[in-house]
Amino acid sequence: MPDEALSHLDERGHAHMVDVGDKIVTQRTAEASGHVRMAPHTLALLADDAMPKGDVLATARIAGIQAAKRTSELIPLCHLLALSSVKLDFALDTELPGVRIRARCRVAGRTGVEMEALTAVSVAALTLYDMCKAVDKGMVIGAVQLEHKEGGKSGDWHREPATLEAEPPAAPVAQRDSIKVLLFAALRETLDTESIEVPFTELASATLSGLKEALIARDARFALLHEQQVLSAVNQRMCKSDAPLSPGDEVGFFPPVMGG
Amino acid sequence: MIYIAVHPEPFDAAQIEQRLLAGRHDIGAVVSFKGCVRDFSEASNVTALTLEHYPGMTEQMLTELAEQASERWSLSGVALVHRVGKLAAGDGIVLVMTAAAHRRDAFAACEFLIDRLKTAAPFWKKEHVGDTAHWVAERHSDLDASRRWEE
Repeated sequence: MPDEALSHLDERGHAHMVDVGDKIVTQRTAEASGHVRMAPHTLALLADDAMPKGDVLATARIAGIQAAKRTSELIPLCHLLALSSVKLDFALDTELPGVRIRARCRVAGRTGVEMEALTAVSVAALTLYDMCKAVDKGMVIGAVQLEHKEGGKSGDWHREPATLEAEPPAAPVAQRDSIKVLLFAALRETLDTESIEVPFTELASATLSGLKEALIARDARFALLHEQQVLSAVNQRMCKSDAPLSPGDEVGFFPPVMGG
Repeated sequence: MIYIAVHPEPFDAAQIEQRLLAGRHDIGAVVSFKGCVRDFSEASNVTALTLEHYPGMTEQMLTELAEQASERWSLSGVALVHRVGKLAAGDGIVLVMTAAAHRRDAFAACEFLIDRLKTAAPFWKKEHVGDTAHWVAERHSDLDASRRWEE
């Protein structure tokens, strides 16, 4: 079936499209995300289903699915794909505040589906804007990005945690050259420290253990970071072993977690 | 529909259920789990509990758990609501709610979510007993409960 679709497109004169005829058909998945930041009041109205235009999320979901199916009509050199699945999820985030959008597309085909996933997120975000603009014109669409893709010749790709949604608020540029260290719970109390900025140049090596050494050099009590019970997160992602660090990273140290 | 919220204020399960059900007629089952502050644990007479969390990372982890559950079971909606700050005995701490076309998916996903939440989301508990307070250590039973979902 993809052969038919491709020849049809060729007739329409997309001369620079990659010829994918010889590529092997594989199962491909791509997931993209993005968000619409809005005033807390707008989010509250949305959550209560009280928008003048009606059910915002259901409409945005349909819009995203439709858009994914029509990606080849929007992006000039994109192939038409027979998508096997398009899934959109919305999460209302009171801290953003706004709506986080995730789209996942699947196809058994010869080219990747990342453009479809990105298009689904973008059009769902635009639809959210359209549905809510009567009460909030200042909404911002942001962080539209590919999260991961699987299948195909170029193989699997996952967004590195370090580049995961660089959120601008409250991150002064001056602190870009340092590591922000946060301590939680018993560790915070024992070391009597909630957060420290460590200049990146103080790190013996650009890794978690290099950071621990730098902290111990500052204050010997930080030696307890070496204990097995201490967990680490880099840019809010749990890290099991020694992880590489870059300037501007946020590192959290904490005891075993316990929710619920 | 995934609804994630972390806040000090009490939650209203009925309102959250409305959120999951709003405008949908394909949902045949809603399962919820509510965790409350007990007045006993290792120590008896626990008077209060302070919940600390890692802002930002917590919401991200909860969203990931909800997404994992949605991949694994056929769900129409997931709500994960967790309180933070100082709570009194009897207060609700956490609410896990799953909505699905059929009850099996809703039951299984709900149990998965609370088991995983306890060991994966960055929350910490401090128990207050009279004038003293101590941090609660992780429980092996929780770790075992969480591991049994690993494939």
